[in-house]
Amino acid sequence: MSQSTATTCPECTGNLERDSQETVCTDCGLVVDTDRLDRGPEWRSFADDDRNRERVGAPLTRSRHDRGLSTEIGYSSRLTGRKRRQFARLRRQHSRANVASKAERNQIYAFTEIRRLVSSLSLTYSVRDQACALFDSAQTEGLLRGRSLEGFAAAAVYAVCRTNGVARTVTEIVAVARADENELRAAYAAMNRDLGLPTGPIDAREYIPRFATDLDVPRAVERRATELAADAAETGSTGGRKPSGVAAACLYAAAREADYPLTQQRAADAAGVTPATLRNAYYALD
Amino acid sequence: MQQEDRRKLSREYFSKERLAEHHYRSFNSFLERGMQDVVTEKGRIETDIGDKEDQEPVFVELGDVRVTTPRVREADGSEELLYPQEARLRNITYSAPVFMEMSIVRGGEEEEETVLDTTETKVGRMPIMVGSSKCNIADFSDEELVDIGEDPADPGGYFIVNGSERVLMTSEDLAPNKILAEYDTKYGDEIQVAKTFSQRRGYRALVLCERNRSGILEVSFPSVSGSINFVTLVRALGLESDEEIVHRVSDDPEIVKFMLENLEEADVQTEAEAIETLGKRVASGQGKDYQLKRANYVIDRYLLPHLHEEGVEDEETRINKAYYLCRMAEACFELALDRREADDKDHYANKRLKVSGDLMKDLFRTALNKLSRDVKYQLERANMRNRQLTVNTVVRSDVLTERLEHPIATGNWVGGRSGVSQLVDRTDHMGVLSHLRRLRSPLSRSQPHFEARDLHATQWGRICPSETPEGPNCGLVKNFAQAMELSQNVDDEQDLKAELSSMGVEGVPGLQHETDAPADD
Repeated sequence: MSQSTATTCPECTGNLERDSQETVCTDCGLVVDTDRLDRGPEWRSFADDDRNRERVGAPLTRSRHDRGLSTEIGYSSRLTGRKRRQFARLRRQHSRANVASKAERNQIYAFTEIRRLVSSLSLTYSVRDQACALFDSAQTEGLLRGRSLEGFAAAAVYAVCRTNGVARTVTEIVAVARADENELRAAYAAMNRDLGLPTGPIDAREYIPRFATDLDVPRAVERRATELAADAAETGSTGGRKPSGVAAACLYAAAREADYPLTQQRAADAAGVTPATLRNAYYALD
Repeated sequence: MQQEDRRKLSREYFSKERLAEHHYRSFNSFLERGMQDVVTEKGRIETDIGDKEDQEPVFVELGDVRVTTPRVREADGSEELLYPQEARLRNITYSAPVFMEMSIVRGGEEEEETVLDTTETKVGRMPIMVGSSKCNIADFSDEELVDIGEDPADPGGYFIVNGSERVLMTSEDLAPNKILAEYDTKYGDEIQVAKTFSQRRGYRALVLCERNRSGILEVSFPSVSGSINFVTLVRALGLESDEEIVHRVSDDPEIVKFMLENLEEADVQTEAEAIETLGKRVASGQGKDYQLKRANYVIDRYLLPHLHEEGVEDEETRINKAYYLCRMAEACFELALDRREADDKDHYANKRLKVSGDLMKDLFRTALNKLSRDVKYQLERANMRNRQLTVNTVVRSDVLTERLEHPIATGNWVGGRSGVSQLVDRTDHMGVLSHLRRLRSPLSRSQPHFEARDLHATQWGRICPSETPEGPNCGLVKNFAQAMELSQNVDDEQDLKAELSSMGVEGVPGLQHETDAPADD
């Protein structure tokens, strides 16, 4: 049982995903390799030298301005009177002293906003951490000046979703964000320009499962829609069209093939596009 | 009864539905009523917006709460029903989204109250008990269960958090809101104490009434250090005259004699004086006005909270608190005069069981408080940055989720109890059944507690006389008997009080007695 070095699946050339035990193809599910030994880093990162041997405490996280290393003054029911009031004052001074600079305060606010967005969109922790890291680099680059914090928080979540292949539409994010669409777009443009985000055009297939759930269509229709989208991506027939419109069109086309009642209006609403966009994409499909 | 019939009856008790029934009955009533009760008692979330000049106050009104059945949201954003077996295999949590109606209201000071936004929003996820009414496999037939990979013989009654099955240990507590009289020793002398664990809305306060060696009654309750003279306290509660105090305690001549000793020792005569004395105790070294305010607050907040009721003024319950304290005093005296025996703490009438629903209610209450604090903070931030206040942008749903999941996953419950949730014993089928029907006494296992470990006569038919572990936990961990029936707390207190009042009982708070004509005596 050696560690395989292949990066694609030997059977279907799909992407391989490696977790602590198994290397699995994400497309066909073939288990390429198993390795009972966990060769990954220890559950907590620590400096790799002899002097720093700490193995206690919670793991460091990018999603907190202080990496999760903060001190709080707790409460005790045994304290009474003067001592209790003294600790209340200490606590207040401590929380004031927690934030050293304006930038840090902004970061705390933005990270809270990112955490809120991630939780209300039910995204994963890795998206949260990456979004916070992205915001951090945007802040160090000085992109925030003159733009809104909320916009950057929303844009960071949008960008990370997109680069991770779990794209959300701008409309979906704006619906739960404190920023409006213009703020988000301005922030995203700035980050895309100055940080060089590794994004390409969005694949319509990333939208289909979500829209299918919203429309409550059968599994078979969803599967067919994904096939249609894959074909379209291969032939390039929908190149240049709005991906959410293409996704809606694929769902509509698949529903029509299966005689499942789905109106253009409903499909378009689920995707947040106009029926006209859907129709254009639909005609381009065949 | 014929042997055949007996066998049939006995089989019925071993049916799948019966074995973990206490768990899902309790959890179902939590889902149906308990959750809404907790939200209703919270009522609204106040904010600090409006403390400054020319700003209208803002608050959030909490409405109906609703739980769906468990579902999972995938990374691609699609959502589908989740079945227990999938949760186990994928190491995810078998939980359902919780929705709550919230409206943000501004105004009330100078302007009229205007609703800024009303939405039903997802506030978090609630772990769902397998087999409960909100479980996706609740009314599946055996064939359907097999189809989705579920064991038809599995009794349910546990939660699945991060793929591991956790059962909430039933815990055995002393009955709240009940006077327990017992002996105690203080400085080598035997004294008599009447205790009440007064409980309301998850707040638990121990009230002690003790008769010290010189025969003087003293009361102690939370937020007051040490103890307070009994007569002072009842006077502060509005029971002023000597005659009435004695009459309310007892008509027994010997107890009256004891009471007169107490009244002689009393250093205050009126209600106002008594509250002043109390104020000096609870806020010594503070201004006079503050002392009075604090004294009134302490009386209404920390003394015998279970006598309060929804929709009844605090002032009205005060006199009932005085009567209740008199009953406690009577218990002390009766014990001193050997008119009664000390209450038996191991008697099953003096015990209450906390099953999964009650535990989840405690958890949900603190989780909701945490959520409220977060909503308050988010609202204040959003307001400070001049953002539009909408429900969707101030609720962070992971706050509630984490507060609900974490205790179930680790067993560290609110209130510092640990080991409340345990990994379901899957050694074999009998192991599971035994584990689901286990109960635990909160007493420390490192102390002898011989009486608590003994088999008590009142456990007959309720607790299995032979199934208990050997070693330190012996007699503290018990198992239900086969035919045990667990009765549930039913909310009929109001009806009962109304009925009693209609039959002529006077002094029921919040209910006006219909016939004001005095009884002919």
